[in-house]
Amino acid sequence: MAAVKLNIAKNFYNRLPSMQVSKDKVIDKIVYIGKKWSSPHQRAILGVTAIVMQPYIDWKNKSVDDKTRKVAVARTCAKIIAGTLTGVALRAGFIKGIAAMSKTASEIPANTKPFIKNLKQCLTPKNLDPSNKDALEQYRNAMGTILSLVAMVFTNFLIDAPLTKFLTNNFIRMQKKGENK
Amino acid sequence: MFSPAKMWNGFKSYIYKNYGENPGSMLVHTGVIGWILSSLAQVYAVIFNDKISKEQKVFLIPQEIADAVVNIVSFYTLTSGVKYIGAKLVKTAKLRTAEISNFLKKGGHVLEKGQKRVEGKVYAGDWNFDITKLDNYNSEIASKFKPFKNGAEVIAGLTGSILSSNLVTPLVRNKYASAKQKQALDSMKNTNREQNEKTLYPGEISMNAYMKLASIKHSGNLKV
Repeated sequence: MAAVKLNIAKNFYNRLPSMQVSKDKVIDKIVYIGKKWSSPHQRAILGVTAIVMQPYIDWKNKSVDDKTRKVAVARTCAKIIAGTLTGVALRAGFIKGIAAMSKTASEIPANTKPFIKNLKQCLTPKNLDPSNKDALEQYRNAMGTILSLVAMVFTNFLIDAPLTKFLTNNFIRMQKKGENK
Repeated sequence: MFSPAKMWNGFKSYIYKNYGENPGSMLVHTGVIGWILSSLAQVYAVIFNDKISKEQKVFLIPQEIADAVVNIVSFYTLTSGVKYIGAKLVKTAKLRTAEISNFLKKGGHVLEKGQKRVEGKVYAGDWNFDITKLDNYNSEIASKFKPFKNGAEVIAGLTGSILSSNLVTPLVRNKYASAKQKQALDSMKNTNREQNEKTLYPGEISMNAYMKLASIKHSGNLKV
């Protein structure tokens, strides 16, 4: 039965028309995104779309009382702002830092002191293919993102959570002020 | 023998090998870890915020936990699902650039309009077609195909993550959390009622027991 279903899905897929991207501008944009966009961009895009969509969804949630709904909207906004700001900053910062410490031999001037040279190469992978620049860039993005996540174990509690609390309380205060007017 | 330096080098090599040419997967995997960590912090933030009342916490804590579980599950399934579809479309050449089309036409892999399908032959755009398996893939088209595939995968992954984090998660978590809040508020009301009943007749008899006794004593005299 499962095999029959899979065959139907495959046949359906085969019959779908192929799509061709012909505009150079669009192809360049897709290639650019694949090469340059990484976790800070992803986090920023998620944050921007979240602030547009999530508070609206919370506001329309009629299954809770009015007061709770308002607190939920305030908290959602605060959480998105705090999470996006720290998330983007940390990821971008770490990726930059990793890039500075994962240089290839050709990227370091010949007269560099051995200690500095070692420091600049301490995160360079041993199995590096120097001809594949894109892979090195993606490695830097991945390593930066992973190490920023380790840092987030601490910053989530030290920055995110207090900032979310501070913003939530401010947004609730603003709501109350608006209601009293 | 265990050596931290060896392990560190192994870790770097692993990241380079697995994510060096696969940015889409890296975004999915690190995204999942990121959500787990931030959810932990958010639950902590609600629990220790004294400005939020007990009734609202009863809603917000399950909301946050539901948010975390739904977010992580939907992020992984939806994001990797949409990313898989994006990658499949490109790998099977269902979605391709003009340059890739020309390469495939030259090799006779494209089924042209009006052309009859040869039984058993796999064409570009078919489920089983894989452009990377073609003999002249590396020498002729890999340098153009790989960046296009990476871009398509990142865009697909982003679309999946927006759908999961900003649409599916808030809708599902709100449904779950409001049900939980109702449940918790009901049990709170019950506790309050029991306490009220106890305080009506301290040390003697509860309201319920009094009503029961009264009904036993007087029910026989009721004239209907």
